[in-house]
Amino acid sequence: MEILYLLIPLSVALAFLIGAAFWWSVASGQFDDLEGPAHRILLDDDGWTDSGTAATTKKDD
Amino acid sequence: MLAEPRALNDQAIAGPSSSAPVAIDPVLRSRLETCFHCAEPVPSGSEWRLELDGEQRAFCCAGCLGVAQTIRAAGLGEFYAKRTAHAALPAREPDEWSRYDVVADDLALVVRHGDRREISLLLEGIRCGACIWLAETYVRRVPGVIDFAVNFATRRARLVWRAPDTALSSVLRAIASIGYRAYPYDPTRREALARREGRSLLTRTAVALLAMMQVMMFSIPVYVSRDGVDPGDQRLLDWASLMLCLPAVLYCAAPFFSGAATDLKLRRLGMDVPVALGIAAAFAASAWSTVAGSGPVYFDSVTMFIALLLVARYIEFRARERAGAAIESIARDRPQTAERLTRHPATRETECVPASRLAPGDLVQVSAGATVPADGEVIEGRSSVEEALLNGESWPRAKAPGSSVLAGSVNRESPLTVRVTAAGESTAAAALSRLVARAAEARPRVARLADRAAAGFVAALLAIAAGTALAWAWLDPSRVLAVTFAVLVVSCPCALSLATPAALAAAAGSLGRRGILAVRADALETLSRATHLVIDKTGTLTAGSVRLASIETTGRLDREQALAIAVALEQGSTHPIATAVRSAAAEAALASELIAVPGQGVEGVIRGRRYRLGRPAWVGGLGDSPPPSEPGNAGEIRIALGDSSGRLAWMSFGDSLREGALELVGAARALGLAVSLVSGDRRESVEHMARLAGITQHASDATPEAKRAFVAELQREGHVVAMIGDGINDAPSLAQADVSLALANASALTQWTADIVAATDDLRDVGVALSGARRVFRVIRQNLAWALAYNLIAIPLAATGHLHPLAAALGMSASSILVVANAWRLSRIAPFDARQTSNEPRGTATEALPEWKSSTS
Repeated sequence: MEILYLLIPLSVALAFLIGAAFWWSVASGQFDDLEGPAHRILLDDDGWTDSGTAATTKKDD
Repeated sequence: MLAEPRALNDQAIAGPSSSAPVAIDPVLRSRLETCFHCAEPVPSGSEWRLELDGEQRAFCCAGCLGVAQTIRAAGLGEFYAKRTAHAALPAREPDEWSRYDVVADDLALVVRHGDRREISLLLEGIRCGACIWLAETYVRRVPGVIDFAVNFATRRARLVWRAPDTALSSVLRAIASIGYRAYPYDPTRREALARREGRSLLTRTAVALLAMMQVMMFSIPVYVSRDGVDPGDQRLLDWASLMLCLPAVLYCAAPFFSGAATDLKLRRLGMDVPVALGIAAAFAASAWSTVAGSGPVYFDSVTMFIALLLVARYIEFRARERAGAAIESIARDRPQTAERLTRHPATRETECVPASRLAPGDLVQVSAGATVPADGEVIEGRSSVEEALLNGESWPRAKAPGSSVLAGSVNRESPLTVRVTAAGESTAAAALSRLVARAAEARPRVARLADRAAAGFVAALLAIAAGTALAWAWLDPSRVLAVTFAVLVVSCPCALSLATPAALAAAAGSLGRRGILAVRADALETLSRATHLVIDKTGTLTAGSVRLASIETTGRLDREQALAIAVALEQGSTHPIATAVRSAAAEAALASELIAVPGQGVEGVIRGRRYRLGRPAWVGGLGDSPPPSEPGNAGEIRIALGDSSGRLAWMSFGDSLREGALELVGAARALGLAVSLVSGDRRESVEHMARLAGITQHASDATPEAKRAFVAELQREGHVVAMIGDGINDAPSLAQADVSLALANASALTQWTADIVAATDDLRDVGVALSGARRVFRVIRQNLAWALAYNLIAIPLAATGHLHPLAAALGMSASSILVVANAWRLSRIAPFDARQTSNEPRGTATEALPEWKSSTS
């Protein structure tokens, strides 16, 4: 079972890596709004409008 | 208009009762359609319609129609297909956005980078994901806007714009035009702090969970192997666990160590002390065993312990944060501006200045509908002024040259010129708010008492651990460490320290979703023990606004015709009675030659006939008929409608019970609480409302001090008093009460004082809070009982050396999980239980005062 001497330190290193990645993602604000992105991804500027104009039409003023 | 409704009302009461009041025909109120925008009922005969997506849609009011038109014109009609919840009713507030431009220089909230300006906004009216889409898409198209991003979780937005191209007010107005409201706020105050705390807590929790999982992986082979692992592998696993446990203890558990250090510095024993001691001791012993190569290791228990505690803390933090954000959005302060007269006697030229820059002696113009910016003396004009903020009284008071006005009151009728006597921090309102803030600050100290009870348990625990160590040092020195750690780990007051916060966090979350925010954690606890509920009348038990209660006609007109004439006459008036009349009917006749006579009423010509609406004597004067006798009901205000041939109709106005008032009284009774009503109002009207709500005990003509004394008297009798109030005049009694609640419409100051804020207008939600609090404490008692029973069994076993540290760790974890799972049941608080109120009589109230669902509410 000598392989354990490689695998276990590797798993520890991996755990530290995950920890660091998580720390970075929190610090960069990815966890500040946990609800918005879920909605935003479904509501792209992709559609039709009832008035027949494209959603990207500029507002009059 | 009626500047002195009091006098009128007294007269009404004195008059003999001639006929029974006739309630409004229910058909008048029948509304089948609901508004396409906000789902409020559409008044019958409404012409607010718009073709959207090929279909005719009906709207409840011009506000909703306007918003829908704006959305359609911008090509964003898709919003209606995308949304998952109906939009909020757009507010009918006066356009006061431009005042933000005036005070923009004073606002430290605006961050400047050259031409670029950045500000944080608080958004109101966000209901679902489509709202974010609509707001972001629409606002980004406003010329000059560089970026606009909404945070859905916190209802905050960040706006970046180019200053020369656009004014802040035009962006705020654009947001208002699609049915939302945005207010600038200062994110540095509390938010930045909370965000940093939230991020660090989240990282700590995640790291602890990661360490826990990985250490468990390393421990399982040791647990499951029958004949022990190879000593070499064992050492490898131990060292790997140590490496993972190190960050968990040094980084993740740091808050517990610093908490314990603070506790010790203040010479008290909090829950953090044994937690820190347990973690430190177990980790030190395990590390020692690892380095020495022999002895027990408890890395798995240590990491699991830290992770579980942090998860509980994180949940609690999230719940608290949400409550805090909601309260901050209620208590936002609008910038106050004033119209200062620059060269008074010569011209009426005014300049707009921030209210804080006013000085005594300045002359200011207060237009109708505006808020008085400073304390002062009226020098020109006659009007009535509403001082609800200061005295909780919804009736306006007459003001004439010479009378004094207070900052924060609202001018109802016609413009006033005021000479400032005190401004800014020296106004009566500012002094009052400082007083209340000081009272509120003094309160959390009482809350610390709860912590002191825990200290007793901790002290006993430490004594037991020390005693065990001493006893085993004498019996068998080789087992001292193992047994003492077993005691500390098994009794680690995990379950105990989780019992309360986990239950409170779960309850805070579920109550928060209903809009009930416990500002102080122990508020729910006190609420669950409450034995007496004291309710303020005006604005709390009642809607606080005047509503049309009934119309009696003399027979020459029917009710609808009388109402149509009244609405026509009251067009354009801001008096509360005018608002009540207008909200009672959708249709109006066309009136001309409208004249408002302050203190008397309104006069106008409709289809060639001259009518008067107002004080009976004045109305009678139109046709030279003798003052008619008038029927009267306590707590109501009556005005007459007449023409030259005499009186046509009586209209009675009264404050009506707030939605859910009867249900709340019923729910409180069902939970065994006594209910009483206090008010600064006259006895007749208090008695009248008490009768309608089914409350027997009441106090009237109460000054703020008398209200406080009333609460104190109940407390002397041994009652635990919960109080619901709204105005600043309730603040002393709210502070006196054991636990206080404020509704959404309460003054900002009152909400800051209150222990629990219900962000709703429905009193039923207070009933939910009452029963919810009871449930929370049933669960906490169960949790504490379980933790105690577990400790009573496990500690003796561990102390006598019968419990292996691993079994102790497992037992500890199992009991913690049980406690958290039990608490989790609270995250589903049952909807309001109708059965609780089914035995309460409802009939009398609804018959006497039909509940007008006014479309302006």
